[in-house]
Amino acid sequence: MNDTEIDPPAAPPTNGREDRPFRWSLGRAMAVVGVAALIGLLGWGLVQAQRGPVEKGMAPDFTLTSFDGRTLSLSDLRGQVVIVNFWASWCPPCREEAAYLEQTWRKYQDRGVVFIGVDYVDAEKEALAYIDEFDITYFNGPDTGTRISTDYNIQGVPETFFIDKTGVLRGVKIGPLAPPELDNKIDGLLAEPYPGP
Amino acid sequence: MIADIGFFSLVIAFIMAVYGTAASVVGGWRSRRATIESARNASLLVFPLLTLSVVALVYALYTLDFSLAYVADVSSPVMSGFVRVTALWGGQAGSVLFWAWLMAGFVAVVLVRNGERDRELMPYVNAIAMLTTAFFVGVVVFITNPFARLWYVPGAQDLTVALLPPPGAMPYIPPDGGGLNPLLRHFGMIGHPPTTYLGFTGFVIPFAYAMAALITGKCRDDGWIRTTRRWTLVAWVFLSIGLVLGGRWAYDVLGWGGFWGWDPVENAMLMPWLAGTAFLHSVMMTEKRGMLKRWNIVLIILTYSLSLFGTFITRTGVISSVHAFGKSALGPAFLAFIALTFIGSLVLLFARWETLVSEHQLESFFSREAAFVLQNMLFLAIAVAVFWGTVFPLMTELITNTKITVGPPYFKKVTTPLFFTLVLLMGLAPLSAWRKGAVDRLGKAAGLPFLASLGITAGWGYLHRMHPASFAALWVVSFVLLRIDSEFWKGLRIRMVNRQENLPVALGKLVRHNHRRYGGYIIHLGVVMIALGFIGDAFFKQETQRTLAVGETLTLGEYTLRFDDLQMYAGSDGREVVEASAALFREGEYVRQLTPRRDYFVTQKQPVTVPGVYSTPGKDVYVLLVGWEDIGTNGSTFKMYLNPLINWVWAGGFTLLAGVLVSAWPSSSRRETTYVLKPGPRPAYSEHSGG
Repeated sequence: MNDTEIDPPAAPPTNGREDRPFRWSLGRAMAVVGVAALIGLLGWGLVQAQRGPVEKGMAPDFTLTSFDGRTLSLSDLRGQVVIVNFWASWCPPCREEAAYLEQTWRKYQDRGVVFIGVDYVDAEKEALAYIDEFDITYFNGPDTGTRISTDYNIQGVPETFFIDKTGVLRGVKIGPLAPPELDNKIDGLLAEPYPGP
Repeated sequence: MIADIGFFSLVIAFIMAVYGTAASVVGGWRSRRATIESARNASLLVFPLLTLSVVALVYALYTLDFSLAYVADVSSPVMSGFVRVTALWGGQAGSVLFWAWLMAGFVAVVLVRNGERDRELMPYVNAIAMLTTAFFVGVVVFITNPFARLWYVPGAQDLTVALLPPPGAMPYIPPDGGGLNPLLRHFGMIGHPPTTYLGFTGFVIPFAYAMAALITGKCRDDGWIRTTRRWTLVAWVFLSIGLVLGGRWAYDVLGWGGFWGWDPVENAMLMPWLAGTAFLHSVMMTEKRGMLKRWNIVLIILTYSLSLFGTFITRTGVISSVHAFGKSALGPAFLAFIALTFIGSLVLLFARWETLVSEHQLESFFSREAAFVLQNMLFLAIAVAVFWGTVFPLMTELITNTKITVGPPYFKKVTTPLFFTLVLLMGLAPLSAWRKGAVDRLGKAAGLPFLASLGITAGWGYLHRMHPASFAALWVVSFVLLRIDSEFWKGLRIRMVNRQENLPVALGKLVRHNHRRYGGYIIHLGVVMIALGFIGDAFFKQETQRTLAVGETLTLGEYTLRFDDLQMYAGSDGREVVEASAALFREGEYVRQLTPRRDYFVTQKQPVTVPGVYSTPGKDVYVLLVGWEDIGTNGSTFKMYLNPLINWVWAGGFTLLAGVLVSAWPSSSRRETTYVLKPGPRPAYSEHSGG
């Protein structure tokens, strides 16, 4: 008995189907295409993800129309500290920070600070209910066509961008804000001198 | 020094894993026993070597060896010893090492236990499992190495992280570490990653068996599928525990009053769980009737692929998620590995497609086979819906350059009816028999539970007139609950009458002698309990928010909260704590003091909201402190939730675990099992059931 060799496997019971050569069918082709497409999609997503949110340089300009019909452009706000908060009514962590955001807005609103709420992928009814629920009084509008969030390449909601008096991005917070984070950030930016446009 | 040992044993483990993979393939291909043995020995070495690495890293974390970049990142002197140890999986590099270690552990157990059985399959099982292990060890060695050090290059702005010193660099040892993300310092988060990882890595074993069966052409025999079933059950139960612990963690730490948010990271875990659950059921069809062979292999491949897919999207940030996982360099390597796995398994499956024919056809639409097929389709439909919702933002961004996130409303709408159909099926399917339709039996055995559940629903409906949508959901849950109870009762009565046993003895013996069947029922019971928790969350959750001055009150339902005091103090682990004290009243009667608080971790600049919770079996009162005035105590904002039935989710989780333990328990007596499964007609039984 040769000990180095394994016994050949016993032939499985056949019904004549085993020896059929491989053939392409519509189902198989679809499975292959589907898998290939998924891998391609993931690869593309990976490239996108590696870019990360915009963190430095001039903050991308945008014009936002609020839920009550007013419009506002970022470029008109030079000389003021701007807080841009991306949120959505369906986002639980946004609820976590909502009260703190509003509280901080009320504290700073007369001191050269502008808060802008950008509502990301939302339904107007739910969004208004949310604004009502948290009694939000700062400027708030829907990101129609996700143009603003694409420019800022946000990673999700909530996400908050801090813009200094000269319109330069000075940081981003991914995830909910909590005391005293926002206060500290605003205090720092407010203390900086504004050389004029 | 110890870190060097850890690093070198890691490198040797990588070499062993690569060798083990290659030698297994060669040995299996050429049928050379010596080569196969050598591959097996090398593969068995991987686990102890990685253990050494893990021990070295844990030691470094515990003793705060800040010369390692990873330790400086996640450990810190203010953390307790226990938390420092858990920092092993608190960051990217450590968690991938931990992952590879667990996987190597599973492979080692398989190689030791099944070395002699499945002789022809084993070389390929070894090869596939080792290839996967080698990939993860390779990632740890080359891409995200926890033993890398910090270096200071004169003139450079930032520190360099590298294994070997860059030219002219000096080692840099920071005075203090960053410390573990505060959100992760919670018992749910301490248990959640290891159990989840055990679940994810455990699926590699069934996958390796399926691949080996396809490669060798042994997929027509079903011996391997029995081994696979047990391993899938092991992985599945860990994944289930991971899901429940993750939910509990979200509930306790994330501070939004819920436990499941349909976030991509949660979906990433749910999808393999769904596919794995489908497989655990369909595998019974193969065992009992030799049917659904192709389907089973497809399900194993799907389960494993989905767990890889889930790991990929959570680790690389491809799909934006509210969970903050760091971006990392392992994306491209991971993508290549996923592509290899998906395409490789698909090619093998096609090559053996014709071999995998069923031995029987479906004979009746009311047979147990049909119930299993339906159940499988439902599970897969949910998985597809979840998958679609998860990748949807990515697809819309590719096509329209606009990210459209579907959010929880989509998931709830699509999956709720499917889940409830599944729960209903859970109550009905055990009534059906193999092969034949049994509509008449259905009526007889389900009649009483049906009527009783209608009664319960009517009573419920009277009490909760304003929530009509909950009636149907509650009917399903109560009906299935009663149906499962009646299955137990049926078996109990036979024993109590025929053998004169009292209730506890009969129950013990019944379950012991049919552990797979009654273990299954207990698992189902756990699922129904979890469903009840979801009903509470979906229909009866209440919330409110208000800013209170000291002495003011906030009322929600029958509960009233009175703000008494606000304190700020320095807590342990380097945190500043703001804690409110509020008295809780139920219909005017004092219940207890609640202390919701906000911990601010100074080093990490991260706050953690800790709710004040009053928990009863019926509902939780969940109070959050969301804001306060800097000075004084006249303005603190509270959020208050009433979360009815939520504790059923956790209780259901425990029940499920108990059910798995029962059903996976090694059989004691085979003879009695057969006997009780097929009770003959007995006069005593018919007499009693007639009366």
